[in-house]
Amino acid sequence: MALRDQLRVMVVDDMSTSRGLITNALDSYGIRNVTSAADGPSALQKLAVSPVHLVISDYNMPGMDGLQLLHALRSNGPTRGVGFLLITGRADREIIDMGKRLGMNNFLKKPFDPARLRAAIEAIVGKL
Amino acid sequence: MSDPMAEIRASFFIECEELLESLQDGLQMMDDGDTDSETINIVFRAVHSIKGGAGAFGLDDLVHFAHRFETAMDEVRAGRFHPDGEAIRLFFTCADILGDLVRAARDEGEVPSDVTDPVLAKLEKLVGVEEEEEEDLDFTPATLSLDLGGLGGDLPDLGGDLPDLSALPATGAEDDDALPLMADSAELTAAAPIGTEPLDIGAPEAVVAKGFTVFFKPEDTLYASGNEPLYLFRALRDLGDISVVAHCGDLPALDTLDPDTGHLSWTVTVHTEEPELAVREVFEFVDGLCQLDITPLKETGAPIAEAPAVTAAAEAPAPLPPLDFAADLPSDLSSAPTAELPPLTPAPTAPATPELAPAPLPETPMAAELQPMPEAAAAVPQPAPKAAAKAEEKPVVKPVAKSEDEPGKPAASSAPAKATGTPTQPRATVRVDLERIDRLVNLVGELVINQAMLSQSVTEAGLPPNSPVSTGLEEFLQLTRDIQESVMMIRAQPIKSLFQRMGRIVRESSASVGKEVRLHTDGENTEVDKTVIERLADPLTHMIRNAVDHGLESPEKRLEAGKSREGHVTLTAQHRSGRIVIEVSDDGAGINRERVKAKAIENGLIPADAQLSDSDIDNLLFLPGFSTAAEISNLSGRGVGMDVVKSSIQALGGRISITSQEGKGTTFSISLPLTLAVLDGMVVRVDDETLVVPLNAILETLTLTDNDLKALGPETHVVQIRGGFVPLLDLGAELGYRQPLDSYVGGIVLLIGQEDGNRAALVVDAIEDQRQVVIKGLEGSYGRVPGIAAATILGDGQIALILDPTDLVGQASGRTRTRQPQPALVG
Repeated sequence: MALRDQLRVMVVDDMSTSRGLITNALDSYGIRNVTSAADGPSALQKLAVSPVHLVISDYNMPGMDGLQLLHALRSNGPTRGVGFLLITGRADREIIDMGKRLGMNNFLKKPFDPARLRAAIEAIVGKL
Repeated sequence: MSDPMAEIRASFFIECEELLESLQDGLQMMDDGDTDSETINIVFRAVHSIKGGAGAFGLDDLVHFAHRFETAMDEVRAGRFHPDGEAIRLFFTCADILGDLVRAARDEGEVPSDVTDPVLAKLEKLVGVEEEEEEDLDFTPATLSLDLGGLGGDLPDLGGDLPDLSALPATGAEDDDALPLMADSAELTAAAPIGTEPLDIGAPEAVVAKGFTVFFKPEDTLYASGNEPLYLFRALRDLGDISVVAHCGDLPALDTLDPDTGHLSWTVTVHTEEPELAVREVFEFVDGLCQLDITPLKETGAPIAEAPAVTAAAEAPAPLPPLDFAADLPSDLSSAPTAELPPLTPAPTAPATPELAPAPLPETPMAAELQPMPEAAAAVPQPAPKAAAKAEEKPVVKPVAKSEDEPGKPAASSAPAKATGTPTQPRATVRVDLERIDRLVNLVGELVINQAMLSQSVTEAGLPPNSPVSTGLEEFLQLTRDIQESVMMIRAQPIKSLFQRMGRIVRESSASVGKEVRLHTDGENTEVDKTVIERLADPLTHMIRNAVDHGLESPEKRLEAGKSREGHVTLTAQHRSGRIVIEVSDDGAGINRERVKAKAIENGLIPADAQLSDSDIDNLLFLPGFSTAAEISNLSGRGVGMDVVKSSIQALGGRISITSQEGKGTTFSISLPLTLAVLDGMVVRVDDETLVVPLNAILETLTLTDNDLKALGPETHVVQIRGGFVPLLDLGAELGYRQPLDSYVGGIVLLIGQEDGNRAALVVDAIEDQRQVVIKGLEGSYGRVPGIAAATILGDGQIALILDPTDLVGQASGRTRTRQPQPALVG
């Protein structure tokens, strides 16, 4: 069984358009176990009951940004090992450095095409 | 299967409209003096999100503009630029253009660069940002090892066919004790101590503090956002030896314990050489989510932990207020704390992936760490006997040495999963195709008609009014009405989007006539039928322009009159007795009645000796072609007058009125029906046909006497009503039901008020009833039928046409002018 069949992914973005785009791209790679959340708190909620291998999260979200979500994931036993791919609108040195310190697995700058998203994911989990 | 990308693209544009709305909202708040960072963030995020989505669809113009706008907003957000009124006006312009670009992208149009470029240039000049070179950021992706991939024991092994995964070394945050941020930032800041040397004048032997007392009381939101006090304590422990006092005084008895709320607080004594900043940084991510007091220890190594702890505990705040957000949690969420537990134990995999065999991994470090949890949870009630609720403080002191086993997770961490702190939690909505709603509206229309028919049958059957059938029918009637109203509500939407567009009109029109105008809106959440909103845009735009152009004085004149330089236009909406009332008012000079009257006389609209009341004069503004502006500005002087506004409003079944006070301002008031699906109508009979005349078109009804009638020819009559002459229109003949009557004496006449101010007397054979009818469109089946607006089905099952009086009278007068005697035959 290929990795893509088993990999469970959560997409976190406050824009439904972005969630749709990412989910659609994942679908095109054959990743079908995808859940999504519109903000950090609801992502944490869902992850508590239904864990995933990889979280793909937007950085700029209301209330709790992507790095705060990462921090929450990393400081919570059950989710601290989850893979984390941050998607940012601006490649800001500060964001990336903070992400590094928090244990971000990879980041991807918007806009991106499905190929780049795939490469970013594969850099974390290996060949799909 | 439809193209998913096309669907996402379509939803992007819908989402953009929502973002543009919050962008306008945010700017409005900034304009009103709100400098809150979250407000600025809302604005920034809206622009940022639009840019992000646009990038994905390759909408380069939009991305380009949004990027510049975003950069400017980033300056504001970072506090490097403090926008004044002028800057905010420019931001509004940017928001308007952003909206134009979104719509252009959607409709595959274009916004010329001579619109966008000057604004961008202004923006850059004002905010003073240079396009920063995007630096190349090196980042080595941290490969996920199997260790990290398995989430506790509950996720299956990723499979034996992927040995490379587990073989790869993890490069991210790896060992369980590492909180990289905490460790790193502590190190980073250790070199720069700040404020670590408090002076105590009274104590000559005062020494440099060697630690801190930290009082820490989490808000419930802290847990909700996924934070865990244990890890904070652990991070503190990295700074030095700590001892922790837990305050359990607020713990209620078990039977009243709400597991969604936190009850614990702690006093932690940290013995460390690190500066206070290092301690603060531990709590960086829970800033605002807890009560935090950090005080330096007074003496080196003094064991004073207990003293402040106890006082802190004794002064512990009153029990937490009841959490109102628990109420809006779905029931499954309120059980989140327990739901949180199962996946941590080596439970079977969630049913989402049934084909994957559950692979419990009890030997993983993850699972080991999770083990204490159930114990801890079970242990929680123990230190909280009923007596404890009565503020009897029994601090549980438990020194935590660096090497000691982790204490169990405190019960308080079983927190509600919803963050109440999130400022803008969007309401859950469903997007539905308008067609589907209209189908539902139609079906409910049928239901109303059927119900009316049933009522009529019951009445005709002669059942007594107190019979079970009659009372049952009464309830049915009530239910039908409720359903109809609810369905109409689906079509309704807040008038806010329309009001926001008016903001732009005010900004643009005031700029072009050199006036300073502020728009105030009220009642923007008033819900109005979608179609009504769409069709209100033009008339409202015109009225707003009028208010700015004609209503308000120039800044100089305003100052002379003792008013503020800035003029005010107010736009309000409200529900009033089953209708929507929209008002546009200005605080300008009011209507100059002398000038209006003079102008009307000059244009031959009224006789020179006409005696008119103030309100009569005001209403002259609604006459076609009326304009008093001495010089025609490029705003209102477009040949579109208030008469067009009036006819647009009337076409929506609405009425418009005007009130004005000299020197104080003018108010236009529009009253509209809640829906276009039902209509108040007068049911009349002509020959054998039943017709419905919209009630809002009827001024009065009268019976003709010989004196009222004047013949202008064999087939042309006028009716004299209070000194004026009104053309007579025989409805039966007009619609081809019968030949014109020989005499109209004794005939029943409906006096129709037309939008152009003209009137007509409509002759009918009888007036039958006045009632609400459900409008059924004809255009789908028959195309546009002259003189007929729509049809309806009456209670007896009969189909009746609904007249369009304006069209009908227009037809007739057009025919009179062109001398076409043959009446149009309408079926």
